[in-house]
Amino acid sequence: MTLSQLVLRSMKKNIKHYYLYFFALIFSVTLYFSFITLQYNPSVENISGSVKVAASLKTAQYLLLFIVVFFVLYANHLFMRRRSKEIGLYQLIGMSKGLVTRLIALENVILWSGAIAIGVGVGFLTSRLFTMILLRILEKEALVSISFSIQAFQMTLFVFAILLIIVLIQTSFMIRRTSLLSLFNASKDADTRVKRFSAFQMFLGFIGLVSIVYGYYLSTKLFEGDSASVNILFIRMMLILGATIGGTFFVFRFSVAFLMNIIRKQKRGRLSIVDVLSLTPIMHRMKGNAKSLTLITVLSAIALAILSLSYISYYSASATAQRSVPYDFILFNDQGQSFTERLHEEKIEYKQVDFSLLSAKHDMSELLENELPEGMMIDPKSTETIIMKHSEVHKVMPNFKLKEGEGYLVGYSGMLAEFMPFQVNKPVHIMTSSGEVTVQIKKLDEEPLISYRATYSSPALVVTDELFELLANDPVVQKQTVWTNQTGIDLVDRTKIKEVQSLYEETTNDGSFEFVNVEGHKEVVSLDSQESFRQSNLEVFGLVIFITGFLGLAFLMTTGSILYFKQMTEAEEERASYTILRKIGFSKKDLMKGIYMKQLFNFGVPLVIGLAHSYFAVKSGWMFFGTELVAPLLITMSIYVVLYSAFAFLSIGYYKRVVNESL
Amino acid sequence: MKILSGRKIKKVYGKKLNAQEVLKGIDMEVNVGEFVGIMGPSGSGKTTLLNVLCSIDFATEGVIEINGKNLRMMKERELSSFRREQLGFIFQDYNLLDTLTVKENILLPLSMSKVSKTEAEQRFNEITNLLGIKELAPKYPNEISGGQKQRTSAARALITNPSIVFADEPTGALDSKAATALLSNLEKINFEKKVTIMMVTHDPVAASFCSRVLFLKDGQLYTELYKGEKNRKAFFQEIMNTQGVLGGDGYDA
Repeated sequence: MTLSQLVLRSMKKNIKHYYLYFFALIFSVTLYFSFITLQYNPSVENISGSVKVAASLKTAQYLLLFIVVFFVLYANHLFMRRRSKEIGLYQLIGMSKGLVTRLIALENVILWSGAIAIGVGVGFLTSRLFTMILLRILEKEALVSISFSIQAFQMTLFVFAILLIIVLIQTSFMIRRTSLLSLFNASKDADTRVKRFSAFQMFLGFIGLVSIVYGYYLSTKLFEGDSASVNILFIRMMLILGATIGGTFFVFRFSVAFLMNIIRKQKRGRLSIVDVLSLTPIMHRMKGNAKSLTLITVLSAIALAILSLSYISYYSASATAQRSVPYDFILFNDQGQSFTERLHEEKIEYKQVDFSLLSAKHDMSELLENELPEGMMIDPKSTETIIMKHSEVHKVMPNFKLKEGEGYLVGYSGMLAEFMPFQVNKPVHIMTSSGEVTVQIKKLDEEPLISYRATYSSPALVVTDELFELLANDPVVQKQTVWTNQTGIDLVDRTKIKEVQSLYEETTNDGSFEFVNVEGHKEVVSLDSQESFRQSNLEVFGLVIFITGFLGLAFLMTTGSILYFKQMTEAEEERASYTILRKIGFSKKDLMKGIYMKQLFNFGVPLVIGLAHSYFAVKSGWMFFGTELVAPLLITMSIYVVLYSAFAFLSIGYYKRVVNESL
Repeated sequence: MKILSGRKIKKVYGKKLNAQEVLKGIDMEVNVGEFVGIMGPSGSGKTTLLNVLCSIDFATEGVIEINGKNLRMMKERELSSFRREQLGFIFQDYNLLDTLTVKENILLPLSMSKVSKTEAEQRFNEITNLLGIKELAPKYPNEISGGQKQRTSAARALITNPSIVFADEPTGALDSKAATALLSNLEKINFEKKVTIMMVTHDPVAASFCSRVLFLKDGQLYTELYKGEKNRKAFFQEIMNTQGVLGGDGYDA
């Protein structure tokens, strides 16, 4: 029998062992090839700002390559470990190590060729899907035509050929290391696995929990305190990372066993079947599993955090637009009347909201809850703020009444609200020609009413009509005021938005508005409509969300598969225990109860810790990315959890089979 | 009073064309308090018979009753709880879970029963005293010797006060001293606690501890020997003679 015959025959017989590795390879090729194809797709290349797009795609490609390399090497490692007995057996019957290496190499070449062929085929199909998703996210309407990209194919072939060489080197090292003894040391596994737990380890376990909690605590204080200079910020971030990552490792390595040992001690020898199948194997396996679980947890936390943040940006595109431009279309200072006239002519229904505006300098320092951090370019003792009339605001926000000497803020939200939290029932001083006028702030409201062009994203102050009239006649305030009124126009039927947009551009000269600035010169600004503001946001963040989404998915799939592979190996190792338990009279159902618990732990704990990590990471810095936290965070996390659980179910299925076969 | 009876037990492995009949219709009975040995050359079906009798494996044909209950009439779950409550097992390779301590291993079969904590503790003390492994309680299986492991395994088999204990080559992996110690223990338990024991072995020394020895050949009952009033040495000689007639694996231990 020649070598190749032997290889083919052994592959045919052992197809069960191969399919996992084979699947991992196909998956990697598919992912890589479809991404590269997407990159070379003309409809993607045509997207505006192609230099930026190309650069970000290129970066993403390297990250993807990193994930793929990591995954393939891990899968090969696992595959080889499963076969160490087989390799020992070949040597026992007198094959030299060189021959065995050649045998495995030949096998690998066959497997890889198959995987690349299938992966490229599948990748070709999925890349069309990915391209469509990308264009849909960007809200671009383009026909997706996809042709087989020779360039992408060559690139994939090149990358995986190099990867194959690395894998072969890895394999030959492993073969050199496996001795005949590995045939017989199955029982030795238990010796290295089962150890007593010392008091010191218990202590370290406790430290792990404390350090994570401390890291979380720090993260909530990241931007607080009086001297948040850049250096201190950096040190704090490092401290947080160190505490949480180190803590995670300690938790897996020691705390889990520590907590479980306490539970176990309390049972005084009488363990239930669920304990036997979940508690004790988890405890004793933690030493070997700690590193990989930490890695998986930390990496999924990072992936989740990045995904959440980019989704926050994307999700906030509309909200940011809504906040910056509170109405579909905005007109200032009684200009752009021809726009409303045209709307009448075209019989387009709309709602109009008018506000009279004033501007004045304010002293808001007493409103501040904390002292301002250093380096903020704001002087709270003299900020310019828009003033509005209560009776007008009352029409859109009917459930608040004002007494004399009182006022409230609208449009109080976003980064400003995070960094400079205000408190109610404190005074604001308005500077007028006759000294300061004091207004007691009764309420802080998020509702935006005025375009960011006028407010510069700061809140606006609403005062009583009497005070407003008084201020309107004050010469200092009059001089400060550049915007005298705002007209907000909301369409009743938003499907006509495109049509109206062109009307708006036509009648207002692309949204140009004139005003007289504080120095008395004429100036022109150009206003965006809400829709065009949103569009430009989408374009920037859409690409980011697509790339992070793609990488996040790749990431999720690899970490999930690694956990699944690990569970498969564990199931095989524990098969003997299942046989014993079934022999002495535990039913399959009893065993499965324990296994459900174990899976809940194995998948649940990294997930929960990963979610918690990413939650605190996102919480500490989300305001730089958008205006909405809860909804996008929940959506990202739920999708992640759902996809991730699929792997838990897969591994439960595998356990079920092992348990069924065990007797 | 009989505790176990089997009628016309047949076991066939494989399907039609390459079917192999391992047990060819065995009739047997075991009475309460007996210590029954099963001997026979390799491939005679000893272990298969034991597996079929103790409900780990299913007979192709025939009726097996333990305590008057027909095994064939029971479903998987019933069989499991029956095994847990009524039967005890000792295997050649100990079959201890290495992530559990000795005590946890021994108390494992009680985990789903309604035995109270104090009762369990009491039984544990009694049995471990009897087998001389009490001080091993907090150790893990990889920290104790083969003989100790097998005694742990025996303790686990006895903790539920089973009607009958099945032992498959319990001394197979032990040195002769440990084997003798274990067998003496089993003999004592059989005598003092009136526990019925059924043991498969190919070691005539081990078989000589039994009160009755069945010989299998090619899936059929060949003969049986009673110890009666004979001492162990004489019974051993008798077993050796029978084995000589039977041929086969007298010396493969």
